[in-house]
Amino acid sequence: MSNNKKVLLHEGKGEYDFVLTSVTVLLVLFGVVMVYAASSYNAQVNYGNKYFYMFKQLVGAVLGFVAMIAMSFIDYHVLGKLRFVILGISVLLLVLVFIPGIGVESYGARRWINLPFFTMQASEIAKFGFIIFSAAYMAKHHKKMTTFKGILPVLGVGSLICLLIILEPNMSITICVVLLMFAMLFIGGARIKHFLILALPAVAMVPLLIIAEPYRLKRMLAFIDPWASPLGEGYQLIQSFYSLGSGGLFGLGLFNSRQKYLFLPFSESDFIFSIIGEELGLIGCAIVMFAFVLIIARAIRIAQNSTDRFGCYLASGIACIIAIQVLVNIAVVTGSIPPTGLPLPFVSAGSSSLIVFCSGIGILQSVSRRSHKTVKLTVRQRRKKRERLPTKP
Amino acid sequence: MNNVPNSTVTTRKRLLILIISITFLFCVLFGRLGYLQLVARKDLQSRAAEQWYRDLPLAAPRGKILDSTGSVLADNREVYSVYVRPNAVTDKQAVAAALSGHLNLVYDKLLEKISSSRVSEITIKRAVEKNVAEAILAQNLDGVYFTLDSKRYYPASNYLSQILGFTNIDNVGQNGLEGYYDEYLKGVDGFAYTATDIKGHELENNVTKYVPAIPGCDLTLSLDMNIQSFAETAVSNALSEHNAKGASMIVMDCNTGGVVAMASAPGFDLNEPPRDDLNMLNALSKNKMIVDVYEPGSTFKIFTTATALENGAVSDSDRFFCGGARQVDGQRIKCWRSIGHGSQDLGEGVKNSCNCVFMDLALRLGTDKLYDGIRNFGFGSKTNVDFYGESRGLLMQQSAVKTVDLARIGFGQAVAVTPLQLVTAVSAAVNGGTLYEPYFVSQVNDYSGKLIYERQPKEVRKAISPSTSEKLRNMLEKVVSEGGGHKAGVAGYRIGGKTGTAQKYENGHIAQGKYVSSFVGFAPVENPRYVLAMIVDEPGGYMYYGSLVAAPYAGEVFKKIFDYTGLKPSQTDTVVEWVNMPDVLGLSPEEASKRLSERGLLFESDGEGSSVASCVPVPGTRIPKGDVVLIRTE
Repeated sequence: MSNNKKVLLHEGKGEYDFVLTSVTVLLVLFGVVMVYAASSYNAQVNYGNKYFYMFKQLVGAVLGFVAMIAMSFIDYHVLGKLRFVILGISVLLLVLVFIPGIGVESYGARRWINLPFFTMQASEIAKFGFIIFSAAYMAKHHKKMTTFKGILPVLGVGSLICLLIILEPNMSITICVVLLMFAMLFIGGARIKHFLILALPAVAMVPLLIIAEPYRLKRMLAFIDPWASPLGEGYQLIQSFYSLGSGGLFGLGLFNSRQKYLFLPFSESDFIFSIIGEELGLIGCAIVMFAFVLIIARAIRIAQNSTDRFGCYLASGIACIIAIQVLVNIAVVTGSIPPTGLPLPFVSAGSSSLIVFCSGIGILQSVSRRSHKTVKLTVRQRRKKRERLPTKP
Repeated sequence: MNNVPNSTVTTRKRLLILIISITFLFCVLFGRLGYLQLVARKDLQSRAAEQWYRDLPLAAPRGKILDSTGSVLADNREVYSVYVRPNAVTDKQAVAAALSGHLNLVYDKLLEKISSSRVSEITIKRAVEKNVAEAILAQNLDGVYFTLDSKRYYPASNYLSQILGFTNIDNVGQNGLEGYYDEYLKGVDGFAYTATDIKGHELENNVTKYVPAIPGCDLTLSLDMNIQSFAETAVSNALSEHNAKGASMIVMDCNTGGVVAMASAPGFDLNEPPRDDLNMLNALSKNKMIVDVYEPGSTFKIFTTATALENGAVSDSDRFFCGGARQVDGQRIKCWRSIGHGSQDLGEGVKNSCNCVFMDLALRLGTDKLYDGIRNFGFGSKTNVDFYGESRGLLMQQSAVKTVDLARIGFGQAVAVTPLQLVTAVSAAVNGGTLYEPYFVSQVNDYSGKLIYERQPKEVRKAISPSTSEKLRNMLEKVVSEGGGHKAGVAGYRIGGKTGTAQKYENGHIAQGKYVSSFVGFAPVENPRYVLAMIVDEPGGYMYYGSLVAAPYAGEVFKKIFDYTGLKPSQTDTVVEWVNMPDVLGLSPEEASKRLSERGLLFESDGEGSSVASCVPVPGTRIPKGDVVLIRTE
């Protein structure tokens, strides 16, 4: 019954969302340039090669594009069928992080897995593993979603992933997965009262997490008044403010950042948005933010136009994880929420994040292509049927 | 319908809610971004600039200090600062050895400093002389650097040591005029702004911006270096010749309040202040003439006389009798001459410095009038001289003054004044009655020579009338020509003055054998220009009378000033009568007094004995008639 509607909506549209691909490719290439802008000095000082981070990012971009294309050709339903395998791999990777020799420790946390060519952040895979699993589950059991019992498997898997990530520890990704979990349940049709019941233990977790790692309280305080400890907890935020403030409306010009001279830590990764603000100003930030909104909007649109529930949930899950990470990253950079390390999707230096997000776009294309194909095929098949049928005199 | 919601509709609705929420959050963050990048921009950018640039100060040359004739009293000299950048040092031992040798530093400590290379740059020593720096430079050591610096230099080294003051290693004025006028002298430091990374490494594309330093202003003092040198000679001679604890001299232009000379011994070389011994440095650099008070003794009688004349409390025909003491409120207060002065008029009383006369005057005036009078001369309040740490002197609380105290104040006891207060007040007493604010700095010029401040004589008030002033001048002239101030006289010139000998108090009790001998005088009498005070603190031995200890130096300095300024003598053909010192040894005090008076000699006596045991000068010495001699009885 809804097929007629879809036929009308999609009439005359391409199978492939070229806007989404173009914006993604432009954003990734822009990211490579900005990684160079933000890291050239740091790379020169620490590695003797100012292109060090840029080359790595370029490799990541190429791999990302390959992954994007590959994923767009794979029927996303395969992912749904493999949901338990993917989930298993995700959890396994999260566990492997803790095994010495495989897991790499850095900044006091075990988040990376050592691979021959690069290190991979296990939680990046896990985010998408969770999306695929929950989308598939919710699609299959969509009638149970209004019951509390029905949402329990999603909660259970989400909590397990969160637990493993928080043990690394990685607070920021954990929060992202929690938000993602709620967003998936929301789309999946869970009841509002169930959210309220779930919100209580989530809020109750906050003091526990702070007790577990006292530095989190300091960060909270630094967020409230960074100027109280300009050389301590408030340092990073203040440096980010300096970047953004120096940029003004039009920015200092590409490659003209002053903060990149080691003043702003993680300028090429978690705080790359500050450098964008410094070099390209409010206008540059506006364009970047618009690009993200565009990507998210296209993803939601693909979700709306998907022919099946799984495609819809999958596409909206990917839209949500992009939206959550971009919003949290910009909120941190602008001092709107307590500081936490989270890369800006597609732009921040970091191959695993780049590849995974590009794959996400590939999945979106797969959903998009298949929904179009199905509609068009239906129409064509109907026409052919009509043509084949002998006309009644 | 409610139990089984239309899933498709719900999903569509929720996706719409989702995209609206996300867009809304993006808008909120964009608003926050706009605040940071547009509203808070200026503040953030200026804070950020502070960390982007290293500002190396370019020290402003400190202003010079000149005397009224243009001689330089304080200047700057080029010196070097020696730095070591440990990372650039190739041979640590050699560097440590060379530097410890040339700069007089401990080798081991130096080596340790250089070896612990946590800092990028170590300051080894500042204010290193040019020849020393050149010697180190000649050794061509890696990692040793020099920067040009400046050091304060005082050409007259130990002259004016308590007045000019000195600066610290950073050329900040510490005390004296260097401290008081630091704001003028220091100038405004310039800066060299260098764009650096967080560790201070200069950026490749850096263009160092220079903000030039503005040199400090030059001070011109009312001091005259020639007269200062006369005063310096006098005080250092007095110190050694009388084995005194200290000696001070102030010369003031009585018609402006400008300090022409101010010298105090012992002093120190301003180029090498004894910084290692802080107590000694504090003691030596204290300007006792402004900061410390002393009991003026007989010199204070000038103001009792002035107040009495001004109030009409005494007339020319009044006569006073001195029997060697006065009974005041049942208490016997002695005159310094125990045999008394007999009957005298006011002029003779001043000439004889008879305590009884001034007790009478003070009692006639009463506390209120005497206090008003001496306050008009500036006693009990600061002179507001351009110098830190000035004392206001000590006056008893007016309501607490008993009759006995009043009598004592009349001849200069139970009060304490600063030497500067005394000179300032005497200036007012003899210049026609105008009290001026004393000062050191007469003008300030900026580095380009532009005059930015010029001192005009500042009249505080009229202390006394011109006629009172004239009467005082004449009475005080007699002190020098015929009285105890004879040794301050200069043949052919009219000089007025007053001697003073005060016992010192320690912890509220008279300190036996400790005196302050002083003389305050002015010249020329007919048109006073210079007022001079000579104070000798704790002269050793029996010679402690102001007339014998302080007055001679005043006379010497007056003579030099007259020669230097080319002042014409008042009387061209002065005939000096000479007499021989009679042999008074073994005589009774009365008999000796008679013998000396016959020859026209004045005398001061020490001791309460019945016969003369010694005298100065020795019998038979040729001395001018009217001179003052010392006899000591046992």
